[in-house]
Amino acid sequence: MSVLTCPVNSTIVKLEEIINSDQLKDPKCRRIAEELLELLDDIAWGRAGDKHVPAILSLSKELMDQGPGKVCKETGAFVHIALIEHEEVFISHVQTHNCTSGACIKLAPAPCQMACPAGIDVPAYVTLIGMGHDAEAIEVIRKDNPFPWVCGLVCTRPCEFMCVRGRIDTPVSIKFLKAFASERALSDRQYRNPEKMPDKNKKVAIIGAGPAGMTAAYYLALMGYTVRIIEALPMAGGMMMVGIPRYRLPREVIDREAALIEELGVEFCFNTRFGKDVTFKQLKSEGFEAFLFAIGAHESFALNIPGEKKYPQVINAIDLLRNVALGDRRSPGNKVVVIGGGNVAIDAARTCIRLGSEEVTIAYRRTHSEMPADVEEVEQAEEEDIRMSFLTVPVEVVGKDKKVTALACLRAKLVTKKGSNRKFPVPIEGSDFLIEADAVIAAIGQKVDPKSIKELSGLKWTRRSTIDVDRACMETSMEGVFSAGDAVLGPATVVEAIGGGKKAAEAIDRYLSDIPQPKLPPVPHRRGKIDFIEVPASTKMSLKKPEMPLLNYNRRRVTFQQVELGYSENVAREEARRCLRCDICRRCGECVDVCRDKMKINALKLGYLDFDHPVKTDFRDTADLCIACGACAENCPNDAMQIKDVGKERILALCGTILNRLKLEYCEMCGTVLGPAKYHDYISKRIGNIAKVADGRILCVACSRKSTAKQHDEEIIPII
Amino acid sequence: MFRRGDKVEVFKKSNDEGWQSYMDEFVGFHGIITDPDTAINDPDALVEVSLVDKGTHRFPQDCIRLLKE
Repeated sequence: MSVLTCPVNSTIVKLEEIINSDQLKDPKCRRIAEELLELLDDIAWGRAGDKHVPAILSLSKELMDQGPGKVCKETGAFVHIALIEHEEVFISHVQTHNCTSGACIKLAPAPCQMACPAGIDVPAYVTLIGMGHDAEAIEVIRKDNPFPWVCGLVCTRPCEFMCVRGRIDTPVSIKFLKAFASERALSDRQYRNPEKMPDKNKKVAIIGAGPAGMTAAYYLALMGYTVRIIEALPMAGGMMMVGIPRYRLPREVIDREAALIEELGVEFCFNTRFGKDVTFKQLKSEGFEAFLFAIGAHESFALNIPGEKKYPQVINAIDLLRNVALGDRRSPGNKVVVIGGGNVAIDAARTCIRLGSEEVTIAYRRTHSEMPADVEEVEQAEEEDIRMSFLTVPVEVVGKDKKVTALACLRAKLVTKKGSNRKFPVPIEGSDFLIEADAVIAAIGQKVDPKSIKELSGLKWTRRSTIDVDRACMETSMEGVFSAGDAVLGPATVVEAIGGGKKAAEAIDRYLSDIPQPKLPPVPHRRGKIDFIEVPASTKMSLKKPEMPLLNYNRRRVTFQQVELGYSENVAREEARRCLRCDICRRCGECVDVCRDKMKINALKLGYLDFDHPVKTDFRDTADLCIACGACAENCPNDAMQIKDVGKERILALCGTILNRLKLEYCEMCGTVLGPAKYHDYISKRIGNIAKVADGRILCVACSRKSTAKQHDEEIIPII
Repeated sequence: MFRRGDKVEVFKKSNDEGWQSYMDEFVGFHGIITDPDTAINDPDALVEVSLVDKGTHRFPQDCIRLLKE
């Protein structure tokens, strides 16, 4: 076999062509072909198990033998024969997760897409936003995440941490661009659901209308399943609705995106508590064949200090945030102490300020730099006059006449324990002090409440009190029962829950279609190769990450209006142009090597190529030395580096970033394009003798030779 | 204690139940902490790491270590 071809890859390409060409008219035949493609994709991406090859053999044989129709039989035969002929290559892909030809990794996603737990094709949608195609950008996002607007406001953005642009200056503002495009597409009435597949007549029950549950519902509904969501709360959103305050995530955002899921026919049963209003047995008897438990982590950890249970003014942050989200606008107290240093503590404190509390203090046992909350959230809290009491260990809630009067605390110091590089807060004896308070809010973490699903006695739990699943496919220890979101991970992020919900939907589809589950989590899909946006190197370097405009300080302290006001159109389009298009440039460094080592020019100083040791990059520097020879473009395996003659210029561009632009020269004799002067000089030096003959004229090699020959002819040899 | 943005390496397999069998092939890979335990700095919590070319996963903390800049 040639090292340049891979039978797995070529089978996928051909099968995709057949499916996309609409030749497979019979629904069953089409379904089998799509299942085959899915299994082959698993193999290509190294996430197949031992059952994949036998399953493909069996499905392709079924198609080959039973058809119906010639095209179906031929499709089955082509896959079957490919597998029989190259069985060892297919098995090697499964066992080694490696494709020796490289064909199966050529379309590997960009680092930002790989980092996204939902696997969104970031470069594709960022480029579309840069081009002004917001609705198309949303279409791309929703192929992997039905909540672009929510994530545009509250995502923890792992993508930005892996953004290669961050190795040059600052990462692209991927999150804010997503919010911008969502708002635009919705406002323009261009934010629409894709077409659903035909009904499969199979029912799936989902417990919990949070991000994981609704994401699974969205993808299952698109696949043609009948989906019912059981939700204890009176509205959709789960923790997004009752755990994240409205000044960060307005209710309309969740409502609009949930409504689109409902529009697909998903049935929402609100105010319905699983285990009380409806049981597992009942749902099974109604014909539900698969179940997803996405119940979140809504139960708070207790402080376990004296006085905690004694006073009604000691509440937990999750209860406070839930009550406020459900409409309760009463302030918990005038002087509030929030215990904890995480995002929930910050949310609770900022909520109290908006409810009218006069003084809000966050008591945290470590220092500012150890606070686990997002830096931006902490900054905004400080701007809103929330006080911070660091190295503070609460020891007792103090009160009188059933009312809290203070929180008794000890000062702490950070000590490194033997055998550990972590610093632990240790209370200092005799450092007692009181923080005056009439309400105390505990925000020290949440856990899954197992009571509601105690009926599922076969369910295995982890020692962290989360539901035990195979995280490659979210399957639990009970057949047909899947789980995702905080119920599996403990309190985690919205985007992880979305990723888990999507994974669960794919696994439920496999379960109900009787095809094996993958052994590795899914590798994100590329959603299209979007054209480059041309940007001069100077612009690419001078564009800086824009600041997010914020609501003014006074309004922030008294209302729940959204604090982050969003980018303007110009700012968003410009920001999108900072993207380096790592979906095309794989940072292999071939261009740099050939320029430096073969051409001895060293014009490409792309310091960002290396993850571990990035050094300075300035795209503007290329023009100083580059001769526009095109060796870099010629050696680029992915067409990221391109050289082209446009009008009277030769332009070198890396993923649309114009690195060099030189005026072309033409042969004075025949008019052939010679390339730029710098290039011509470089060549002239190499062919010195011929160049000399040109006698200062600009000639192509052929004309130089002709000219040389003519000179020789004119030299008359004396006859002896 | 890991912070968001820390560069880390998965330097060994973990015996913790949070370690999944597919993670065996991630040993030796580098990445960035994208979501540490955001509640209580719990050394026992699973932390979210984005690995170069391998996606984002939650790991037990005993199998990852900081990379020196």
